[in-house]
Amino acid sequence: MNSHNDKLLIDVGSTYVKVCVESNAPERCHLEQHFRNFNQSILDDLMHKCGHTISAFAKDDVYICSSANGGLSTLIIGLTHTFSLKYATNIAFNSGINIIDTILYQDIASATVPSDLIDVVIIAGGINSKGNAFADDLYHYLQNINYSNIVYVGNEQDAKVAKAQLPELVVLPNIIDNRLHIVEEELKAYLTNLYQQDIMGKEDIKDLYQISSNQIFSTPYIVNQTLPLIDASYSVVNPFILLDIGGATTDIHYSKDLVDENMVTNNEFDRLVFKKLGVYKSRESLIFAAQGNEFVYELLMHLNVTENIFHEQSDKATRILMQLAIFLVLCKMSHYRQTYINLKLSAVNSIVLTGGVTKVLKQEEAEDIISFFYTKILTSQHRPVTIMDTDYAIWTLGSRAQDANHRAK
Amino acid sequence: MKVVTGVIGNDIHVVANRLIDLSLKARGYEVFNLGVNTYLEEFFDAVIETDADILLISSLNGEAEGWSREVKALKAEYKGLDNLIMMIGGNLTVGTGKAEDIIPKYKNYGFDLVCHQVDLNTGLDMLAEFVKEKSA
Ligand code: B12
Repeated sequence: MNSHNDKLLIDVGSTYVKVCVESNAPERCHLEQHFRNFNQSILDDLMHKCGHTISAFAKDDVYICSSANGGLSTLIIGLTHTFSLKYATNIAFNSGINIIDTILYQDIASATVPSDLIDVVIIAGGINSKGNAFADDLYHYLQNINYSNIVYVGNEQDAKVAKAQLPELVVLPNIIDNRLHIVEEELKAYLTNLYQQDIMGKEDIKDLYQISSNQIFSTPYIVNQTLPLIDASYSVVNPFILLDIGGATTDIHYSKDLVDENMVTNNEFDRLVFKKLGVYKSRESLIFAAQGNEFVYELLMHLNVTENIFHEQSDKATRILMQLAIFLVLCKMSHYRQTYINLKLSAVNSIVLTGGVTKVLKQEEAEDIISFFYTKILTSQHRPVTIMDTDYAIWTLGSRAQDANHRAK
Repeated sequence: MKVVTGVIGNDIHVVANRLIDLSLKARGYEVFNLGVNTYLEEFFDAVIETDADILLISSLNGEAEGWSREVKALKAEYKGLDNLIMMIGGNLTVGTGKAEDIIPKYKNYGFDLVCHQVDLNTGLDMLAEFVKEKSA
């Protein structure tokens, strides 16, 4: 270990890569951010741009996290929205997975068959004393689906038949206990592990072990670990939401106090991902989502631009898209039952922005959009405090916490 | 037999709910108590996940009627609830009302047993009787 306890933290995203030197000596701390060059492997790209910094560190002092694998896709089949589907969805999000779809089992005969390869299918439903929850229509449906993994976390009684029908099935304990409460641990461990394997499976990322001897984690996992520490370290007032708007996806982390439900879990925080809501890789789908929103034209007018901005490639266009992304995400979380969860946005005290968005928008530009949202959509005078995590302090904190855990073990 | 119970809507009167939980257990039922602040969809979902035989809804603050109007339509969206015994009790109207007006209205909404301001034990005796008749 070096005398200043210096550490190098690297975050590989879909669009940017960030490299941060952490040190007990403040003058040595610094942060670099680079656009990724997709014509090179991640390691080559990194060495090319900051090889000098990297080679100054021993492998033990380099900590890497990545969201560059884009996450895993999941199809969840469950008996009800309130219990099996919600519990499984919740566990999947908290394991760093991006949901593709959920199917209510009773509608399986008319459910569309996804054409893409699905990384993992999750089957859930029923407390253990309920049997015969699933029948042949489930297995018929699954025959038409292309998936890499399949896991059963439903009632015990149906597990045997399911296993006989699907030899590759992984059977884990029921996620619903006999009091209808959620049981998270086993499915979470399984999915987190799949996610890790997926990161490792991407050749590019595996290369990074040449410069680090520490485990590479998924970025959302690191951010999620940081949440309980945030209000202690920053001027963030609970309850808060954290929006991580990047090139490919938008992640929302929020305190559980903001959700009106009686789901019992140990986590104080939850996470939701909007795939395809980013300003670079998912630009097209972001624009598509914007065009489907009835308030967007008013918003564009408010920003003094026209719809033509969608076709422009400029810094200004990127800025407008970032503002749109903030607006769309807030909308998605506010309308009753439109998404998986609805947050009590009028109770939010702070909105923390992190990720690429903090490099593109000024504080006032973010605040302007948030005010527009509260006035127009919630018809409220409430204004949560906007906090810009410009220097990636949250991610640094998370990586450091990870490091401390690691040392404790 | 399995019973799903809870207090419907934005109703937070919890005392009766606790008593109902205890009394049902004392009578040998397996109870799934969703507590106060429970929405209609959550009740039906719980019935599906547990394979419950009985749904016992309580309402104290006068909200019941608004919710109950939706019972039939919502129940029809579910497969497998046809044999469910549906019961409701508590204060089923806002202010004062006569049981002879209230009961037919709620039966029409889809409840088998309606107990407006009926003492709990009397209500649970009615339930036992109903179950007995049904299985005879
Ligand atoms: C305590 C109380 C409160 C407390 C509740 C605390 C808590 N967390 O439980 C507080 C102060 C918070 C409160 C708030 C309100 N309350 Co209040 N409250 C009461 C009060 C005084 C006692 C309720 C109680 O616990 N009784 C003891 C239990 C054991 O009896 P019970 O609830 O009647 O239940 C028995 C039977 O009804 C029956 N039963 C219940 N469910 C079922 C189901 C079946 C199937 C069967 C068979 C039987 C059954 O079994 C129980 C045992 O016999 C009653 C008045 C009263 N004396 O009943 C008003 C009362 C229920 N409240 C009332 C009102 C209006 C309110 C508020 C709207 C007031 C307001 N304007 O803010 C709010 C609503 C809040 C909300 N979101 O729900 C009204 C409801 C009137 C109506 N339906 O028309 C009542 C009747 C008062 C009144 N006379 O106006 N309340």
